Amino acid sequence: MSETTTGAGAPAREPVRAPARDSARDDASPGVPPAAHPVRLTVNGEAHDLAVDPRATLLDTLRERLRLTGAKKGCEHGSCGACTVLVDGRRVVSCLALAVACDGREVTTIEGLAAGGRLHPLQQAFLDADAFQCGYCTPGQIMSGVGLMAEGRARDDASLRDELSGNLCRCGAYPNILAALRRTTGIEPAPDATRGDDRLRAAAGVDEIARDARDGAGQGGA
Amino acid sequence: MSRYLRPGSIDEAVGLLSTDAALRIVAGGTDVYPSLGEAAARAAFLDIVRIPGLRGITRENEAWRIGAATTWSDVVRAPLPAFFDGLKLAGREVGAIQIQNAGTLAGNVVNASPAADGTVALMALDARVEIAGSDGRRVMPLGDFVTGVRSVALKPGEIVTALLVPDRPAKSRSSFLKLGARRYLVISIAMVSAVVDLDDAGMIAEAGIAVGACSPVARRLPALEARLVGVPPAQAADVVLASDADVLSPIDDVRARAGYRRDAAITLVRRTLAACAEAAR
Amino acid sequence: MNIRHDPDDASPDGGEPLRHVRKPLPHDSARRHVQGAADYIDDVREPQGTLQVAIGMSPKARGTIRGLDLAAVRAHPGVVRVLTAADIPGANDVSPAMGDDPMFATDRVSFHGQALFAVLAETRDAARRAAAKAVVEIAEERPSVTVEDALAREEAVLPDYGFGRGEVEPALVGAPHRLEGSLRIGGQEHFYLEGQAALATPGEEGDVHVLSSTQHPTEVQHVIARVLGLPDAFVTCEVRRMGGGFGGKESQATQWAAIAALGAHLTKRPCKVRLDRDDDFALTGKRHDFRCDWRVGFDGEGAIAGFAVTHNARCGYSADLSQGVVDRTMFHTDNSYYFPAVRIDTRRLLTNTVSNTAFRGFGGPQGMLMIEHVMDRIAWATGRDPLDVRYANLYRPGRDVTPYGQTVEETDTLRAIVETLERTSGYRTRRAAIAAFNGRSKTLKKGISLTPVKFGISFTLMHLNQAGALVHVYQDGSVHLNHGGTEMGQGLYQKIAQVVAEEFGIAIERVRITATSTGKVPNTAPTAASSGTDLNGMAARIAAGKIKARMAARAAARFGVAAEEVTFRDDRVFAGNESLPFGELAKDCVLHRVHLSEAGFYKTPTISWDRAAAKGRPFLYFAFGAACSEVLVDTLTGEYKVTRVDILHDVGRSINPAIDIGQIEGGFVQGMGWLTTEELVYDAETGRLRTHAPSTYKIPVASDVPEDFRVALFPNANREETIYRSKAVGEPPIMLANSVFCALADAVHALDPGKPVPLDAPATPEAVLRACQALRGRPLPERAIG
Repeated sequence: MSETTTGAGAPAREPVRAPARDSARDDASPGVPPAAHPVRLTVNGEAHDLAVDPRATLLDTLRERLRLTGAKKGCEHGSCGACTVLVDGRRVVSCLALAVACDGREVTTIEGLAAGGRLHPLQQAFLDADAFQCGYCTPGQIMSGVGLMAEGRARDDASLRDELSGNLCRCGAYPNILAALRRTTGIEPAPDATRGDDRLRAAAGVDEIARDARDGAGQGGA
Repeated sequence: MSRYLRPGSIDEAVGLLSTDAALRIVAGGTDVYPSLGEAAARAAFLDIVRIPGLRGITRENEAWRIGAATTWSDVVRAPLPAFFDGLKLAGREVGAIQIQNAGTLAGNVVNASPAADGTVALMALDARVEIAGSDGRRVMPLGDFVTGVRSVALKPGEIVTALLVPDRPAKSRSSFLKLGARRYLVISIAMVSAVVDLDDAGMIAEAGIAVGACSPVARRLPALEARLVGVPPAQAADVVLASDADVLSPIDDVRARAGYRRDAAITLVRRTLAACAEAAR
Repeated sequence: MNIRHDPDDASPDGGEPLRHVRKPLPHDSARRHVQGAADYIDDVREPQGTLQVAIGMSPKARGTIRGLDLAAVRAHPGVVRVLTAADIPGANDVSPAMGDDPMFATDRVSFHGQALFAVLAETRDAARRAAAKAVVEIAEERPSVTVEDALAREEAVLPDYGFGRGEVEPALVGAPHRLEGSLRIGGQEHFYLEGQAALATPGEEGDVHVLSSTQHPTEVQHVIARVLGLPDAFVTCEVRRMGGGFGGKESQATQWAAIAALGAHLTKRPCKVRLDRDDDFALTGKRHDFRCDWRVGFDGEGAIAGFAVTHNARCGYSADLSQGVVDRTMFHTDNSYYFPAVRIDTRRLLTNTVSNTAFRGFGGPQGMLMIEHVMDRIAWATGRDPLDVRYANLYRPGRDVTPYGQTVEETDTLRAIVETLERTSGYRTRRAAIAAFNGRSKTLKKGISLTPVKFGISFTLMHLNQAGALVHVYQDGSVHLNHGGTEMGQGLYQKIAQVVAEEFGIAIERVRITATSTGKVPNTAPTAASSGTDLNGMAARIAAGKIKARMAARAAARFGVAAEEVTFRDDRVFAGNESLPFGELAKDCVLHRVHLSEAGFYKTPTISWDRAAAKGRPFLYFAFGAACSEVLVDTLTGEYKVTRVDILHDVGRSINPAIDIGQIEGGFVQGMGWLTTEELVYDAETGRLRTHAPSTYKIPVASDVPEDFRVALFPNANREETIYRSKAVGEPPIMLANSVFCALADAVHALDPGKPVPLDAPATPEAVLRACQALRGRPLPERAIG
């Protein structure tokens, strides 16, 4: 599916190597030099040697030091999932993880999913299933989905719902988010859920309903 | 002044703790960091997660040892005897998967929330807490370790190194149920964990039942446990009396009022026992 | 339905099928969203020297400010400036209309958390820490927190207002049956995932440019100008996208943008405000909560003879949008039902809590839930099926005039939707199966309910029913599209782009969607009242149409044909036997000095509303829908599951069925949250909001979505001349969730069909268990023993 604007695609978002010292932004108490801790974070395959304030969360470090703003701040309490990234392949909420604690670890963010211009299959499935509205929770949803597949925890439809329940979507796009996950994992919908995955099927059903409406006019009711 | 220390051994950790009382021990950090709030500027962290031997579950003599850096996901995935099923169920309810992947059982216990899922399940299993300090190691029952809301019997300079769960007979079953406004991302309104050991005749030989979020510290129900001895598991739920909730002291808060907690807790106790019976069939 | 012969499906130039409109295209930023590359305000790289802003909040809910000592705040390392009311060059007023919302409280505090000052610092952390060092002295008074508190004090934010028709008291007295009751309906936090945010950058001579996460950039612009004492023309407000709005950024994004602008104005440095989640909960208004006191008279069939209600709305400390919100409650008190005699009164009560505001549905959901509850009460009293009681009261020809005098013209659509859904959902069969199940099952009880939705489309404040759009065609044939509507996830940008691409007959990729800006389209209405597509779609089509007419004239002149014979399709322009690419014609137009830019303007026809006389036609049309929900209730814990939901909804002829179905599903889920797990708890003594984070305030998650969820669009061209005969879809689906609330009550009712179910909203598990125990005659104690 093509970009719907005249742009040639998303702008390249190369991680920038941060300076060795903390910027003023990271320093809560100007005048008191922070005890910067050296860490090595491998983010989306690229190693970054940083000196971080021990209080800095992984989320702030990604967003402000590495300019990877795909992971979002939704609640900063680990309760909404918008900041979900993978650390050593497992899902974590990056607002509750300290950057220092991730020293030497592999971090994967939404920016690192697409390979060589090709979207990850789950990214493509989110596109195809229209699995978002405002989009703010989307990176976290996708990372959570990638994580659950990597963790081998996608067993059936019920497990998909449970496993995604750490990621809030206030727009309520869950039916399509689940559809995207089913598409990617090959999991069938629950047997009693006759509603299909395909967005179009609902629209195609219109004519049948229309016939019902005409045929049934004046019947039914009380 | 903020610091971050990562000791390589328990001894080193204890040594650091003895020289700096302000150090906060962190493992997954999922409870510690958000609770620090404005105090974060002065927080000094002692990260124990990479101390060798602290992560994982091993069997030692008559007990199972759950290292202090063991995460909920580690427990849920581990091949363990059936009496751990209640603990695994608690693990699945402890928060979103993102939290289960980072948060530890020991952290859940040490944080001493009245609604800690792990404490309830571990208390039903008669778990003990292994503690290291400059005077060496000591072990104490979990029920004594948690002394109140956000309060535990950890002396300055001490660190929890493991949770010890006594082994149980092969015919032992457990379960866990939690009531909440929603199963996920919710801090509980009430939760119950039960374990029953069966004798050769298939009757209950011993039972452990703990209720959480209905008192400052999770509570066992000893009177009910005593009445259950000798009862066939299928009839266990019928032995539960409304008065069994009398040892609880639930409060009104934003998540639920006391009357609801008390009423629902008894329903959960019956159902947890029924689930144990079902598992024993 | 044969689409090809439907004139609504013909391309603008006739004859050809539509190329973009009616297609399920993805959201405009879809590809960027899945890569985390769609920037929200907090993702925009901050200009060098940007200051971070923290809000200093009142620790008391009501009282007189005796002292505010900010010395320690100013002395905190990293603090650059502290803003108070004394720093405001213009008016200390960020209200949408009534002048009762100060930017910073001065003499009196009116709710817990109210802004007293703001700190500008080099870092966010420093600003927050500094703000906590203020010493505030307040002579505290007991706050009004509940409806009852406000009634006792007789304090209101706006005058009482009511309207009705006929003689209600005789109708009530003369009816064979009478009931009365009181329904409490809780509020709702918007919980847009992107919290309130603004980034203000100072320009020359006092100019300010503000990026604001707002549904109403024009109001942000005007309020900033008012606060800074500048002409409107000095202020530009821009918004590319929001991470959700839902009404919470209609009037209440303004204050944060204005504080950022004031900071930028005074320090000449960029200033950024981003409220964290807890502060956002405390500082911004919610859906109004209500106590609805009602009386109804009806016959043995359940047909209403007379109905009277007083809606006691808890508005919070100021008027904000409460006039329109509570008026809309009145306009939707009938939902889909005819009242021969009716009286609707309202009180707009002042409480010392944050000012309640717009939230998707804008007061309508509360009025409609109340009447659906009354339908159930009538059903329980008469022993009739609740659906049959609804049929007995449903608008039909001859019984089709609303309490405010507008005639419901589409009673056929309303009835067809309800009857169709009754059949397609298998309501009657399932009702029987549920009765059988409930007869067998002691603890688990099932419930089912089918409720209709009728929702009036138009702003009831008449002047807001206008929109503008700006379209440029460049000489390469690419198109720049701008309009007054904002994108908050509802897919507006894509729908308007579809309309414009269709008009020019070009690929949608050639239409560049650009951020909403007051500098491009002025004096706009908020993106609200479900009107975004109706208004802006028309304005954009008008603008594009005018450019196209001039391009057609040029093509006609060049090829020697009549302008009417020139058609635009397939990225080309056809004139007689000749054709050329659209871009070549654009270039040709520039060379021949043809103007390729146009501002389009649209105002909704037909509507009128005289509030004083309570007469007129406030709505251009109604959107309809119906939902049938089935639930399974654990009557020993109060926990429940929504097991199946069938929805049939009227979006007219959809411009984009994928987006519309998403709106229906999402609106239903959001409405379900409002009526089930989302509970706002205020401390009765201090007025502090105690549920201010996701740990205590529970919005729906994936596992809450009905396992069996069937959504269909009802084919029904809008009879009004709306854009491509579509109907608005933003708000109406919220009220489809009323069926969940009624199904829960239905399940509890199975415990004792002889008693009404005492269930208020939200139906939390605790509320459901309380209702269960009440029916069992074993009420739960309200408070802990001892």
